[in-house]
Amino acid sequence: MDKWILFPILLPVIAGSGLLSSAFLEYVRAAKRHGNGKTAGFAPSEGNLKRIHILTGTVLVLTAVSAAGLAWTGDRSLIVFHLMKDIPICFRIDDVGRLFVTIVSVVWVAAGIYSFIYMKHEGEEKRYFGSYLIVFGILVALDFSGNLVTMYFFYELMTLASVPLVLHNGSREAIMAALKYLFYSMCGAYLGLFGIFFLYRYCDTLTFTAGGTLNRILAQGNREILLAAVFVMLIGFGAKAGMFPLHAWLPAAHPVAPAPASAALSGIIVKSGVLAIIRVVYYIVGTDFIRGTWVQTAWIVLTLITIFMGSMLAYGEPVFKKRLAYSTVSQISYVLFGLALLTPTAMEGALLHTVFHAFVKCALFLTAGIFIFQTGKTRVEEYRGIGRKMPVTLWCYTFASLALIGIPPASGFISKWYLAEGALQAEVGIFRWIGPVILLLSALLTAGYLLPVAMNGFFPGKELREEADKQEPHAAMLIPLIVLAALALVLGIWPNPLIEYVRRIAVAVM
Amino acid sequence: MNKMIMMIVVLLPMLSGVLIPLLPFRNRRQMMIYIETAVLLNTILVFLMLANPPQNALVLFKFTGNLSVSFRLDGLGRIFAGLISALWPLSVLYSFEYMKHEKHEKYFFMFYTITYGVTLGVALAEDIVTMYFFFEMLSLITLPLIMYTLTREAIHASRTYFYYMTGGAAFAFIGMIFILSYGTTSNFVPGGVIDLAKVGDKTNLLLIIYVLCFCGFSVKTAMWPFSSWLPKAGVAPTPVTALLHAVAVVNTGAFTLMRVTYYSFGTELLRGTWAQKAVMTLVIITIVYGCSRALKETHIKRRLAWSTVSNLSYILFGVVLMSPLGLTGALSHMVFHSVMKICSFFCAGAVMYQTGRTYIYELDGFGHKMPKVFVLFTISGMALMGVPGLCGFVSKWNLVKAAVASRMPLAYVGVAALLISALLTAIYMLSISVRAFFPGKQFDYGTIRGVKDPNWMMILPLTVFAVAMFCFGLHPAPLLELFRQVVSVF
Amino acid sequence: MEFVQNFPFMTIILSLFSGPLSSVLDGKKAKRLNLAVISLIGMMSAAVLGYVLKTGEPYVYLMGHFPAPWGNEIRVGYLEAFMALFFCVIMLLCMIGGAKERENQIEETKQNLYYVMVNLLLSSLLALVYTNDLFTAYVFVEINTISACGLIMIRQNGRTIEAATRYMIMSLLGSGLLLLGICFLYDLTGQLLMSNIQEAVRTLYETGAYHIPLLVSLGLMSVGLAIKSALYPFHAWLPDAYGYSTLSSAAILSSLVSKGYIILLIKIFYRVIGFDIVRDSKVIHVLFVFGIAGMIMGSLSAIREDNIRRMIAFSSVAQIGYIYMGFGLGTPAGVLASIYHVVSHAATKSLLFTAASGLTDASGGSVRYADLTGAGYRNKLAGVAFTAGSLSMVGFPMFSGFISKLLFAQAAVGHTYKMLPTLIALAISTILNAVYFMKTVIRIYTPMRVPEDSGKACRIGILDQPQKSLALVCFIILNLLLGLSSEPLIQLLQNGLEMFH
Repeated sequence: MDKWILFPILLPVIAGSGLLSSAFLEYVRAAKRHGNGKTAGFAPSEGNLKRIHILTGTVLVLTAVSAAGLAWTGDRSLIVFHLMKDIPICFRIDDVGRLFVTIVSVVWVAAGIYSFIYMKHEGEEKRYFGSYLIVFGILVALDFSGNLVTMYFFYELMTLASVPLVLHNGSREAIMAALKYLFYSMCGAYLGLFGIFFLYRYCDTLTFTAGGTLNRILAQGNREILLAAVFVMLIGFGAKAGMFPLHAWLPAAHPVAPAPASAALSGIIVKSGVLAIIRVVYYIVGTDFIRGTWVQTAWIVLTLITIFMGSMLAYGEPVFKKRLAYSTVSQISYVLFGLALLTPTAMEGALLHTVFHAFVKCALFLTAGIFIFQTGKTRVEEYRGIGRKMPVTLWCYTFASLALIGIPPASGFISKWYLAEGALQAEVGIFRWIGPVILLLSALLTAGYLLPVAMNGFFPGKELREEADKQEPHAAMLIPLIVLAALALVLGIWPNPLIEYVRRIAVAVM
Repeated sequence: MNKMIMMIVVLLPMLSGVLIPLLPFRNRRQMMIYIETAVLLNTILVFLMLANPPQNALVLFKFTGNLSVSFRLDGLGRIFAGLISALWPLSVLYSFEYMKHEKHEKYFFMFYTITYGVTLGVALAEDIVTMYFFFEMLSLITLPLIMYTLTREAIHASRTYFYYMTGGAAFAFIGMIFILSYGTTSNFVPGGVIDLAKVGDKTNLLLIIYVLCFCGFSVKTAMWPFSSWLPKAGVAPTPVTALLHAVAVVNTGAFTLMRVTYYSFGTELLRGTWAQKAVMTLVIITIVYGCSRALKETHIKRRLAWSTVSNLSYILFGVVLMSPLGLTGALSHMVFHSVMKICSFFCAGAVMYQTGRTYIYELDGFGHKMPKVFVLFTISGMALMGVPGLCGFVSKWNLVKAAVASRMPLAYVGVAALLISALLTAIYMLSISVRAFFPGKQFDYGTIRGVKDPNWMMILPLTVFAVAMFCFGLHPAPLLELFRQVVSVF
Repeated sequence: MEFVQNFPFMTIILSLFSGPLSSVLDGKKAKRLNLAVISLIGMMSAAVLGYVLKTGEPYVYLMGHFPAPWGNEIRVGYLEAFMALFFCVIMLLCMIGGAKERENQIEETKQNLYYVMVNLLLSSLLALVYTNDLFTAYVFVEINTISACGLIMIRQNGRTIEAATRYMIMSLLGSGLLLLGICFLYDLTGQLLMSNIQEAVRTLYETGAYHIPLLVSLGLMSVGLAIKSALYPFHAWLPDAYGYSTLSSAAILSSLVSKGYIILLIKIFYRVIGFDIVRDSKVIHVLFVFGIAGMIMGSLSAIREDNIRRMIAFSSVAQIGYIYMGFGLGTPAGVLASIYHVVSHAATKSLLFTAASGLTDASGGSVRYADLTGAGYRNKLAGVAFTAGSLSMVGFPMFSGFISKLLFAQAAVGHTYKMLPTLIALAISTILNAVYFMKTVIRIYTPMRVPEDSGKACRIGILDQPQKSLALVCFIILNLLLGLSSEPLIQLLQNGLEMFH
């Protein structure tokens, strides 16, 4: 029993709720004061803003430090209460949770600091930071969840809490996108829940246990229905991870959200889908049950379709943030592909890619945010020559891109290497070689849609050469970007501790 | 405890209801105090009775030799009686404010209070005849409440309502007769009373009768294809729609079905037969049908009514699983759904009362003007969706647990239907909230100037319900334990 | 031989002779005489009932002490005595309730003729109930027909004349068939006294001789009486006859006249042929099918009807269907249910006719459905009464209709292959009943859109029509009584039925 686990969960949730309710009260008061005027879109005063920033910053750092601290100082567990007789809401920190919570903390703090400046241009900071903190707390809880029901609980809360982030700017388009996001996520969550119901019946316990808890005797004779249930869960949780066929929310929701929110969504929230799938497949059902069945085949096919389709769509997309969103669709399915192979090496690759993609995609979205913040332009062809105005930003972008494409020594190379190796080892028939081919193809496409921005940015051609005033953004925006880009690079150069760590996880579950 | 108390709790509301138009109240306040006192007193009596349940049966009077109106309190009845009496005083409180500007409110309160007694009569019924008696009476006594506004629409709705109710009762009647003739007794006995020796080889006949009888009773729960009366009945004042058409009347239907299935026909006979499959198919269709109609509907109360149609069939789904687990699920959804739906209806009513707006597209930006109401509405919406931590999740969990345990392929389809319905619920409930809180940048708040939250008489019940949703959602154990005790007799 | 044993005979004679007496009195006096006679007969019937209940067995009364086959017998059991009493009560209430209408609708000079008819009708009803002689029964059937015709056409407008003619033709067809049947039977057995015929029929049946003629005779009698009591599809005369005649005529015709024939039919079944023989014949299947068809078709016609009086009349067709369906089940329980329904329907239908007239009075005399809007507010008592009657018709617990529905259903459940059709027909018929009756109830409680005093509508308080109000209250009480404490009555009817053997 370790009550301290609650600290990094409750602290941001409470602080966030405080901010939210104060924002809400302001609305109500304003609505009363001038009933006829517009009340939406007012900004807090300068001093007020500072206070918000200090509060948010403190909470972010405290949470991140305490979460990481708790995570890395031994296994802890806590049963909060019993939802029903045999279903406790409980937290337990294990290796996977540790990994995820660390990523979350890094990205969340980085994007949070970035948003201090960025959000000046969007307004309504209180609401934004309120939701932002709440989602942070929920994510920490999600990563610490000790059983399937707890995870589902926070999974759904996360969806609901992150909706305000998506519809932040309040335009019709944003609202529609948010609703789309909500309904796809709900649909996914319910599909997941469908599976949970069955697992609850046929598993010894819903507590996460490396290697699975499926009760073989009970499962005997109900194999088909259980496989179907697992498949439904994969589709369901895959929705959050942007897996085909429930991927359509992602390109709609990411571009309309404020850039740091998109960064967090793309870097972290989609990863919760990955986390859920890891938990279900590796910690509840067990790999043996799925290996070699139609579920595995179907899953691999879906991921490969998603990988290729995402890349193709990104390649053809002119709006920068949307292009990045499609890229996320594709990249997360790398991870899922790795998970679907059900071999230790592939799982290592998947976990590594989870980490790298989180940092890289966050960095890319932050870059996009800087471009929008500084120039107000959103389309790729408008960024011609931007490297002259913001060289540092564009350099960071370039490094991150290289990492995502998988050019050594940047980090993406390593994860993709493991993924390909895992694919070749796995006994999945024809997919042994189709998988790597598609990975390669997609890497080429990735290069094709990411690098032109950098090239045109640095080498715009003759006609744009004259205007070259430096327009580098505020340090608070630049530093998180640099840190993340550096992480993407450094982890590629010294990956060994990380590889060791994920190998431990992979071996434990298989 | 003396068994006479059962008669008192049934008759007291009836009597005090009849007295309302007769008593010379000097002003509205006096009437309010009188009604609230009567209802509260009755509730207290009911809870006293629940605390020390009387053991014996009480025969009130006899129709014919073997047909009597008699009361007895058992586990199932306790839950229903408790639910009804917990909700009634709060609803009455809400109605005082809501009905303030209406003309013939005395008559409204008269029928509203009488209905309390009649519903308790259903809960306390010892045998199927008594239950049928109060079941019919309930249809009749609520008819004036639907007609209340006396508009063309209301008249039309009340007509439809009564046709459906009588039709339902007519088929329920068949079941009752069958039990009277083929049962060892007309009383409710856990496990059923059918005399197998008498039935002999006429099992198929029995199943036909069961299906007919199920359809008959399920008219009150607005099962497809008998569901269209419920949305139409939404023309009634909100306290009626909320308490009667989301809780009392419709749950009476569900309750009677529990009685008939588990206590009269007996699940042993029915489980695994085509009859079970037939009724389960109807129930599953209703679950999805109700939700999809709700989605299409733009009138807020009608949308909620369609949602009720779907949710009631959740309860029925638990019932037709015909297992103790299924009954537990059904009971929990009966209780939880009541709380959730009454809350959302009252929110809708508060909006209508304050602004007269009834269509969803008119509610843009209301979240900022009526924050309390819409926060509570959102909570109830989330509970209906089954967000964990709120009570809807608990009941859904229990229902599905039973469905999965039944190992019927059709029940699996039912689970899928529940989840589809949950998704649709998310869409139709949350789209209202999103509209209310995020009307869009261009929205002109001038159009909703002067809109504000209602006073405490409306907010208090809502808050109580919301708190209850959280309590049941986070700590359902005691209640579930109670349900488990109830079904432990099977 | 006790004095009270003479009462049945005396009641018949009393009403028979008070008829001619009325013809020489003026309207007012004839009315008073009529009321007095009915009350007196009621009291005497009550005394008879009390006597039979006390002795606990039926008795046979020889007229003029001539033994059969020359003499004429009267037989009195529980059932006969109760029916006589009940008919008197209903008739009295109908006469009271319709007093005002009679004054308005019947010509001054013909007022007394009306009472002649009523008295004759009562005497024929009593005779039908009591007689133990098949031919006497036939004679009174004819008297009944004639007087009923008079009751219909005494309100002289075109439609009643037409209705009366139609009624006359159909009724005569019915009596003709009945007479034919009686002739057959007489030919086969050589007897006219019921008990004697039964013995002869039993011997015939056991030897197997004359099987077909016996069946034909039974069929002829059943069909003849079915026509007269308006079983579907022989109901064409009914809606006009009930719909356009004066109030007390309609109430009496619907609740008593057709019931008299039904009682006679029961007597024929039990006392003349023997119930087991009837059960073995195919005739009851025919009755069953027609009964069920009547239940459904009568209600469907009623739904289409725009005139409230005709609607109630069509409802009678449906209710007669119930009764024949009960016969058709061919079980004692079924017949018991039918008899109970005779009672309950008589009480309810006259209530409905009276209440409907109260409502039309409040709507300027219009019987059109649309004009009744809001009538329940204008004439409160009639509204309540109509609601009560409707609920009883729909079979709402607490009212008499529920008990008869219950008895029918219970009788049906005992049957093997007629169970499901009966139950489902009952259910459907209940729904249809609800459709037209409750539609009307809701209509009379729908407020009028135009100002109330602008048109023909007027308010009627409870005391504005004291006689009608009295009748209505009595009818409602009767209905509730039948609905709430039916046990003694059912017991009585059952014992009475057993006495027929």
